[in-house]
Amino acid sequence: MPTLRLQQLYAFFLLLSLVLLAALGLYAHLSFQHVIQQTQEDAERAARAEVASAVAALERRLRNIAGYLASWDETRQHLTNPEYYPLWRDTRVRDSGALPASMRIGLYRPNGVILARDPSGAFPDRLPPQAHLEVRLMWQDARPVVHYPFPIRVHPDSELLLGYGLIRLEPLEELRKIGPFRYVDDANLRLRQGAEKLRRLDELTQYLDLRAQPNTVLLSALNELEQLIFFAILLSLALALAFFIALRQLIVRPIRRLTSTILHLRDDPQAEINGSINHDFYLWELKELQNAFLDYNQRLLRLHREVQQNSEIFYRQARQDPLTGVYNRRAFDEDRARLEHDKRIDECTLILFDCDHFKAINDTYGHPVGDAVIRALATCLTQALRADDRLYRLGGDEFATLMPGVPIDTARVVAERCLEQVRQYDFSRLGISEPVTISIGLAHASAPFDLTTLHRHADLAMYSAKRPGHPKIAIYEESLGALAALVSNREVSAVYAAIRQPDLLHFRYQPVVRLPQRIGEYCEALCRIHCDGQVIAPGAIFAIVQARRLDVEFDLAVIEAVRRDLRQGLPELEHGVSINISAPGIVNDQVISALLGLKADSLARKIVVEITETALITQVEAASANIARLRAAGCLVALDDFGSGYSSLRYLASMPVDMVKFDMSLIRLLEKDDLRERLIVQDIAQIVATAGYDLVAEGIEDEALLAQVEALGFTYAQGYHLDRLHASQARPQQQTAIQA
Amino acid sequence: MCSIRLGLALLLGVLLSLAEAWAMQVTLDLQPGLSAHAEYRPGSKDRPAVLILHGFLQTHNFPTVHNLADGLATAGYSVLTPTLTLGVSHRQQSLACEAIHTHTHEGNMREIDAWLRWLRAQGHRRIVLIGHSLGSAELLLYLQARRPGDVVHFIALSLVESRSDDQPERIEELRQAMRQRLSRGDRSLYRHPLSFCRHFNAVPQTFASYLAITPDRLLKAARALRVPATFIMGGGDERLSSGWIERLKHTGKTVIVISNANHFLDGEHEFELLDAVLAVLKQAT
Repeated sequence: MPTLRLQQLYAFFLLLSLVLLAALGLYAHLSFQHVIQQTQEDAERAARAEVASAVAALERRLRNIAGYLASWDETRQHLTNPEYYPLWRDTRVRDSGALPASMRIGLYRPNGVILARDPSGAFPDRLPPQAHLEVRLMWQDARPVVHYPFPIRVHPDSELLLGYGLIRLEPLEELRKIGPFRYVDDANLRLRQGAEKLRRLDELTQYLDLRAQPNTVLLSALNELEQLIFFAILLSLALALAFFIALRQLIVRPIRRLTSTILHLRDDPQAEINGSINHDFYLWELKELQNAFLDYNQRLLRLHREVQQNSEIFYRQARQDPLTGVYNRRAFDEDRARLEHDKRIDECTLILFDCDHFKAINDTYGHPVGDAVIRALATCLTQALRADDRLYRLGGDEFATLMPGVPIDTARVVAERCLEQVRQYDFSRLGISEPVTISIGLAHASAPFDLTTLHRHADLAMYSAKRPGHPKIAIYEESLGALAALVSNREVSAVYAAIRQPDLLHFRYQPVVRLPQRIGEYCEALCRIHCDGQVIAPGAIFAIVQARRLDVEFDLAVIEAVRRDLRQGLPELEHGVSINISAPGIVNDQVISALLGLKADSLARKIVVEITETALITQVEAASANIARLRAAGCLVALDDFGSGYSSLRYLASMPVDMVKFDMSLIRLLEKDDLRERLIVQDIAQIVATAGYDLVAEGIEDEALLAQVEALGFTYAQGYHLDRLHASQARPQQQTAIQA
Repeated sequence: MCSIRLGLALLLGVLLSLAEAWAMQVTLDLQPGLSAHAEYRPGSKDRPAVLILHGFLQTHNFPTVHNLADGLATAGYSVLTPTLTLGVSHRQQSLACEAIHTHTHEGNMREIDAWLRWLRAQGHRRIVLIGHSLGSAELLLYLQARRPGDVVHFIALSLVESRSDDQPERIEELRQAMRQRLSRGDRSLYRHPLSFCRHFNAVPQTFASYLAITPDRLLKAARALRVPATFIMGGGDERLSSGWIERLKHTGKTVIVISNANHFLDGEHEFELLDAVLAVLKQAT
């Protein structure tokens, strides 16, 4: 159905109403005309009957008058004595009431001669012979006059003729007097020519040219009705026009204005509309509609503002880290994408921050403390960054900041400031005894740059900084490419695959020789991953394990792989095996159980558990208990990497270990010329040895160094130099295994 | 008493209707073109015939006359009730005051004379004349003038003095004026009150004739009347001038006054009138 405008609909109904009104008016007019015609015909019939009745009445009247006059004594008096006849004729007859004033009488002798001539000539001097004595009609002064003759006897009972009387009358006047007529239009009552032939009064009817009196009541009523209909039509037109104007003014215009406003709002929802439509609404319903619309619009605006505010809040929240209040990963990705397309920037530096050993802190002190550490780090970094720098929390304890247009030197200064800010923060108030440090990796690129690559480079730098003994701030350079495995999908996949399938793990069993006998007593299992024809080196493996927090899982895989080798007779049966267990692993019951199982399977072999990153063992009591369980089962426990910066004498005192494995960096100090450094190493070795621990020196590259550690009282040594000695003594199958 | 009177009235009505059936229409040609009309009720030949004359401008059909005639006829009297022509042949109706009057008292006396002759021709030798109102006056003057020998009694009912509102001097002046007109041959109509007519339209001769009937003339005629006469008057007759009945009583004639009766002695007084007339007739015969 086509869409109609209100005015079109109204115009249609107006036209329809006009047509119906016109048809009704025409029908009424024709009906009225028909009624008028019928009424006129009825009236003419009634008029003719009425005039016939009037003529009959006139005839009766004349007969009565004539009868009275004929029997009236005075008539006979003047017929017999006509001396005073004119006086009687002219006055007495009328005064007596015997003859109406409109009629006149003339008396004639029996022979038909008039008794006395009438001076007006109204009466003939002589009557026709008696045989032709009839009513006559004649025209006098163009007026019809009837002569009505009657005989006069000597006395009423006599047959003797005394004379004649002749009544003269104007029949039309007399007929009018008989009226008033109801149907006859007496004003237009006429006698046609030829009426002279009239001989009897009742013949008067057929010579009357009469018209029916118009039915004034009916005509007036019909006229009033027609006028009423006409005025009704006019009134309808006026009302329709008024209604049209009212419709336009009161409904159409406000609706159009409302529609225009709504359309305007569609284009500009924030537009101010109160002034534009807040008038011309005279109808209560439209006023209500307008008010409802305005109210709705106001609410919509408020809602819109709220939505906008919420959207902004959501936008911010979506880009804000809820824990720290700094930007989140989403914001980082958006800014990175935007930055990548910004051609105005000719260089960019990315700084990544990562908290060292955060998982251990989190596991040790709980999540609330971990969250507080994260918040403290964010505060420190924000304070250290420049005002315009944005700090993003990429996840966990990892933060980043993008520095478009900033050279690497400037970024380095900022990074150092951040490092210092963290260093100066008092984390003890969070209940943390150990130092909390961060590693910072920086990567710089000039346009055109690939931010994905830049991010990977920063990752590599950051992992480089995390390595023990490395500066906490590392700037990416080509030499760090070896760490690419940390971020390489291939290496990461290999680590995960090795965890799922420990068979992928292979070990190089580095011999640890007892001094001064220089007999290989056990071997340290240095793992590699053989995956898809590639060999993943230990440096990459542990970086990934540490970065991905896979310590426990990887420890279990290593134990399982070592168990496999031990079953296969590797290393040699007389040698024990040293397995590196992470700090999280030593407090993990599953790992301890696996180690106990391993020991149970290899009771004949010496099983040494090397605990790395002992400085991060915060659950000292649990660790001590587990160490005790291992020792009780026959395992030896070694404190690895002693002197690398994480291990401390405090831990040494609290950990019930059997051996202390001096870090290679500490052993190398013995090769230096600096006496002070050598003395420190010698004193520490002496202290540890005095405490009852077996000392293990690693990184023995030559005989001289071996001799020094031997001299210092180290119980065990290992290193390249000893590998070569051990290899020369090994069996052929052992050589094969080592090469593999 | 009332019931008895009502019974008598009904009986009288029946008898009167029978008597009316006996009435004869009598036409008397007085002169060429002028015929008089009367009703005659023949009665016993042993009793005097009665001629009853109607009042001024009336006819014999006037109720007082008609009813009295019927009563007398029922009582056995022959009764003739003529209608004076007053110049109208076969006059049937009372003549209106406004009609053109050309008649005279003298002409009336001639017609009375003619009717008396007619009665005599019917074999009546004793005649009683009864007049009503001005008819009484005309009969009185007739008796004074002609003195017929066969009239045995005269009964005047409600005799009037040809009453006019004018003073006698004015009447005389008018009568003289009319006479002068007559002497000049003036026959133009004159309108003046006469008797009970306020607009009597008549020729001078008529006025002169009727104006001559004065009270004194009547009283004088009554006194001089040799025929026994009885005046029967209505005690409530307002048409009479004050003292007229008393003056009549002074004429030496018998005067009977019917209490409360009006000029026409009609209604319930008709019986008293009839009784009185019958009593007079009985006494007269």
